[in-house]
Amino acid sequence: MLTDREIIATLEMLKNEHLDVRTITLGINLVDCASHDLDRLQRNIRFRVKHLAENLVSVCDRIGDKYGIPVVNKRISVSPIAVVAAPFKPDEMVRVAKTLDEVAAEVGVDFIGGFSALVEKGTARGDRSLIDAIPQALAETERVCASVNVASTRAGINMDAVMLMGKTIRQAASLSADRDGIACAKLCVFANIPQDIPFMAGAYLGIGEADAVINVGVSGPGVVKKAIDRALEADPRLDLGRISEIIKRTAYKVTRVGELIGREVAENLQIRFGVADLSLAPTPNVGDSVGEIFQSLGLTSIGVPGSTAALALLNDAVKKGGAFASSHVGGLSGAFIPVSEDLNIAEAAASGHLSLEKLEALTAVCSVGLDMVAIPGDTTEETLAGIIADEMAIGVINRKTTACRLIPVPGKSAGDSAFFGGLLGQATIIGVNNGRGKDRFLRLGGLVPAPIQSLTN
Amino acid sequence: MTKLILSVLGHDRPGIIAAVSGILFETGGNIEAVSQTILQTQFSGTFIVSVPDSMAVESLAEKLEAGLHLLGLDVLIRRIEKKEPLPSLLDAEPFVITTQGPDQKGLVARITAIIARHGVNVTNLQAIFKGGDDPENNIMIYEVDIPRSIDRQALNNDLRQKAEELNLTLNIQHRQIFEEMNRI
Repeated sequence: MLTDREIIATLEMLKNEHLDVRTITLGINLVDCASHDLDRLQRNIRFRVKHLAENLVSVCDRIGDKYGIPVVNKRISVSPIAVVAAPFKPDEMVRVAKTLDEVAAEVGVDFIGGFSALVEKGTARGDRSLIDAIPQALAETERVCASVNVASTRAGINMDAVMLMGKTIRQAASLSADRDGIACAKLCVFANIPQDIPFMAGAYLGIGEADAVINVGVSGPGVVKKAIDRALEADPRLDLGRISEIIKRTAYKVTRVGELIGREVAENLQIRFGVADLSLAPTPNVGDSVGEIFQSLGLTSIGVPGSTAALALLNDAVKKGGAFASSHVGGLSGAFIPVSEDLNIAEAAASGHLSLEKLEALTAVCSVGLDMVAIPGDTTEETLAGIIADEMAIGVINRKTTACRLIPVPGKSAGDSAFFGGLLGQATIIGVNNGRGKDRFLRLGGLVPAPIQSLTN
Repeated sequence: MTKLILSVLGHDRPGIIAAVSGILFETGGNIEAVSQTILQTQFSGTFIVSVPDSMAVESLAEKLEAGLHLLGLDVLIRRIEKKEPLPSLLDAEPFVITTQGPDQKGLVARITAIIARHGVNVTNLQAIFKGGDDPENNIMIYEVDIPRSIDRQALNNDLRQKAEELNLTLNIQHRQIFEEMNRI
């Protein structure tokens, strides 16, 4: 027999706290679709994706309905296209992107990730071709997401690739200038990219993965915030150790939901269950915000002094609670702080409490990086590369994943607002120090050598 | 051995279980299973008891009635027939149906009529009325076993339609979600 408290607590999370499974992402290996013939490659990709993903959406909806917990997003990640389509030129790569976009629409998923290249130690011909195709591919498709891994703790930082990404981001922005540079919202530049991220825009299926795998992204910032609020209301003298304990318990519950539903979806599709990604992923809705958690913890806003410590506590407690709840943990696993996708964080950027520099500091202790940050459209390639290089250095030295999803909004300046719509939200443009700089350091090129931390053998 | 089921009802007070079990012990009965609960101020207990075949059930009943009457309790006794089969619900899945909304007469009757019509068995029912005007404060929790053979979508549709008529928020969720989230 269940207790009424158990049932009411769960209903409360569903109704008022946005409890859901944020994404179930089907990873599809496309390596054996490779062909020197472009038409054949496109046919192979279409056939493989349709074959594996045709029931993904209906199964997710059915299982979600059985447990009364919605699976909000159904998505697909594929092998890095720079490998799958290595022989092709940029314009042909764009056609591959369009095939991915079409087949994603046919099976009813909102995003397909894996228009990706791994170039942390050097850029092969296929990688270069893919990177050159990114601006057009993202501007002319709706569902395709791209990622480029330019650094790792083992390899160091490929500064040539960093500079190239500065240029690529600017081009992507200008090709989608009429929509505030939205193409950049589908492009992540990574250090230490995991092979099994279920969240967009960074999802791709690693080369070390099986033919197909189901990865689950859990979420629940609203649930965590309400748990903290309730606990502090019941006992205003709670210290941080006990607050951490409450976050852990809450993360446990949220992760159990993802694990249960993900496993059952995998079983129904007869595809192996991969990992649960223990993340706090916000949406642009009140009550579904990571930023609001900072206020529940007693800070004026995310971004004020104390924020990094608060985020460190939050991120660690989420991981501890989630790790206990799941058999296989992976992906990004931590709190996300995407500026435009979180109403509260976007407000902090608008009010001036949150600067680019503070965001960078926060990324040292959370799961991703400079995420969905709208910056002035005239930010130079060099300064973009500089922002990316700094973020990569944090990841490389601290043996963690970091990423940049920067949107230089064409024709707009600091203080203006950019609108991306839907889950991508809207944000006030943040000022960039030395935004029009052309600093030589970024053009010196070569590799920043792998740090001493890489010598672990 | 003969199996009996006893139901004891009355205003709650200390000593009820002691009185029932004392009489059963003195008369050679053995308690096999008990479930008791207190609703508001009222005690309700159900006992399954085995007694030797030689014992006259009528005399046990008289002793219980006499003993419990002093405590202001009523007792009902029935013999359990050996061949009474269990409802065949082995191939069923446990779900939890919850309704939240304004208190009104006939809530349970209308919802359970649909549940029964679909051949679904209610295994536990809890009503949490906290009173007041806040509909959130009135929650009914039905734990049910839904046979795999029935059309669950049709049941869902019928229940949701009725809930809408009654201005209720209704959820149907597999029981496992509550166990996974709340228990280790």
